[in-house]
Amino acid sequence: MIYRPFRKLRVPAIVIGGLLVASASQLHAADKVIKIGALFPISGPGSYFGVQDKQGVELAVEQLNKSGVNGYKFEVQYEDSACSPLPASQAAKRLIDQFKPDVAIGEECSDATLAIMPIMAQAKVPLLNAGSSSIKVTQPGNPWTFRIMPNEVMQGVDIATNAYKRLNARTAVLLHENTNAGIGNAKVFAETFTKLGGKILADIGFGRDVNDFTSIATRVAGLGKIDVIPTYTLEGQGLKITQALAQAGVVKGGGGKAIQLGTIWLPFGFEQKAGKAALGYVRIVQFDPTDKRAVVQDFIKAFKAKYNQAPTHINAHAYDQVMLIADVVRRGGKDAQSIRDGLAATKNFSGVTGSAEFDKTNQNIKMDTVHYMETMPDLSWKALKWN
Amino acid sequence: MLTVILQQGINGVVVGSLYVLVALGLTLIYGVLVQINFAHADIVTLGAFAAYFVTHLLSGNYFAGIAVALVVGGILGWLVNATIFLPLRERGSELLPLIATIGVSIMLQNAMLILLGPIPYAFNTPYSSQVIRFSGIFLTVQNVLIIVVSALTIALLYAFMKFTFLGKALRAVSQDRETAGLMGINPNYVIMLTFVIASALAGMSGAMLGPVLVLTPFAGTTVIVKAFAIVIIGGFGNVEGTIIAGLLVGLIESYTTQFLDPGLIDIVVFALLLLTLAVRPTGLVAEKREENV
Repeated sequence: MIYRPFRKLRVPAIVIGGLLVASASQLHAADKVIKIGALFPISGPGSYFGVQDKQGVELAVEQLNKSGVNGYKFEVQYEDSACSPLPASQAAKRLIDQFKPDVAIGEECSDATLAIMPIMAQAKVPLLNAGSSSIKVTQPGNPWTFRIMPNEVMQGVDIATNAYKRLNARTAVLLHENTNAGIGNAKVFAETFTKLGGKILADIGFGRDVNDFTSIATRVAGLGKIDVIPTYTLEGQGLKITQALAQAGVVKGGGGKAIQLGTIWLPFGFEQKAGKAALGYVRIVQFDPTDKRAVVQDFIKAFKAKYNQAPTHINAHAYDQVMLIADVVRRGGKDAQSIRDGLAATKNFSGVTGSAEFDKTNQNIKMDTVHYMETMPDLSWKALKWN
Repeated sequence: MLTVILQQGINGVVVGSLYVLVALGLTLIYGVLVQINFAHADIVTLGAFAAYFVTHLLSGNYFAGIAVALVVGGILGWLVNATIFLPLRERGSELLPLIATIGVSIMLQNAMLILLGPIPYAFNTPYSSQVIRFSGIFLTVQNVLIIVVSALTIALLYAFMKFTFLGKALRAVSQDRETAGLMGINPNYVIMLTFVIASALAGMSGAMLGPVLVLTPFAGTTVIVKAFAIVIIGGFGNVEGTIIAGLLVGLIESYTTQFLDPGLIDIVVFALLLLTLAVRPTGLVAEKREENV
């Protein structure tokens, strides 16, 4: 008798094979999928962006996939771009080689976005960005990169003008991280503020590895009368700067007179972490939870139901990225080229952060994504309605 | 201007004290084993998180947080030695433990990332917002605490090394492990003790750094590079040298921020490191390595 060790496995193998063939043909039938590649910082100092981005994306995809859009479902692949150029470019290449997306979203940090852009352009995959402010993202930019967020010039000109005209500020000290976005934002503020007649007392840049800001606050305190302190940093350093400026008695939160001006970079909840030091802080947020539009209130409700917490502006702009792609698919987008063309043709898309319509450089021209908030003594926000 | 110079001097001493606390552990391990423990940074981070959670659980009892961080650090040090350094040392390799600690470091960082998330924690102790002001100078009670705890730790460590049997045994092992063994000292026990003390110091420095640092699972890595530089500038495992170098680096940082630019801090500190290596390769406090600890 010949021993045949695999004889008993023959029947199950045929059954499994049949099932595989059946499921493959089913997969083919439901093959209408828009593949979204998500490049977010999941590790390193900017990883708080990635965690919140993912929440917003997951909520949007869950809602869209309930019924689909034009017969398409959405599939997302996440890669860690780490808020830094080298890992971002490696993640982008990995995404293109392995996942072959129809469209990509991200990054948050300008340096990382700038590194991703040429890779996406070469692969002819549209990149939709909602979190980077460097002007270089859209000027000169490239035909494949679109940005929802107002760039550093739009934000910088607006905040400097408001500081001069509405807050009657005449002197300013600039605090910023030494990155493309940090330097760029500070430069635009300085140019606009100076042109209006204001004076920049000091322009202080620092690396992301700086932990103790007492020395910087001491230097600022020694500069005389300061009206505003525009600050461009990530959340962690932003917290420490605000607390150090309060301890040095410079800002309102520490009994001083200066008003700290903040950026879109800081998330919702910043004030609660900074405590009383944040009193009087005026900052731009990309998402106004007090906005009465149904799209905003529905988003807040759905987000709270899914995550049992209030959404941040990062959750909101990640949600908007996917919803804008869905809007393009609704208008006929089905592959990389048609999604790119659809994004370029977008008119008055209404998202939770505001509306979107792109100019020739693919920059969103709508300013209603900029919301000014002031921190009140109970650490709540007062919407300033400047835009 | 005099007030600003004095204020920056105080700021420098505070930051320098924190650097000394972190670097002392590295110095002890290097002095005894001539090994670098890359996981030291993550023990600092774990100490900071331990202090954070205990302080919050006990309604703001920061001192309990410091004590727990000390214990957590000590236990981790024992574990790192027992599971990595001891077995690899017995295999006679000097490179393997070094690489293994890099592995431990990455593992700890990622474990903390999964458990604690990447969003920065705001570690505000009851003393962080209490500001003492006099003649234009300001100082938080937290900063006073940092200076006092650092000074006390240095004094206790000095007394332990100079006057106790275990301290003398530790110094004997650092000078000549084989001869110390012949004198009845168990080198493995002393090395284990070194790891426990060094890591307990790291845990405690984490508790002191927590309210100052941007507290994330990567917090320790932002100070460890400076701590390594301090160990080298101070004289490769020399405790006195480490204290001087730590305070010096703190002061350099403060005055660079005031008179140059905070963006130049790393350039200035590492220029000092290169200068030390070029002019005085044995470090600021030059002794024979055997006598360092």
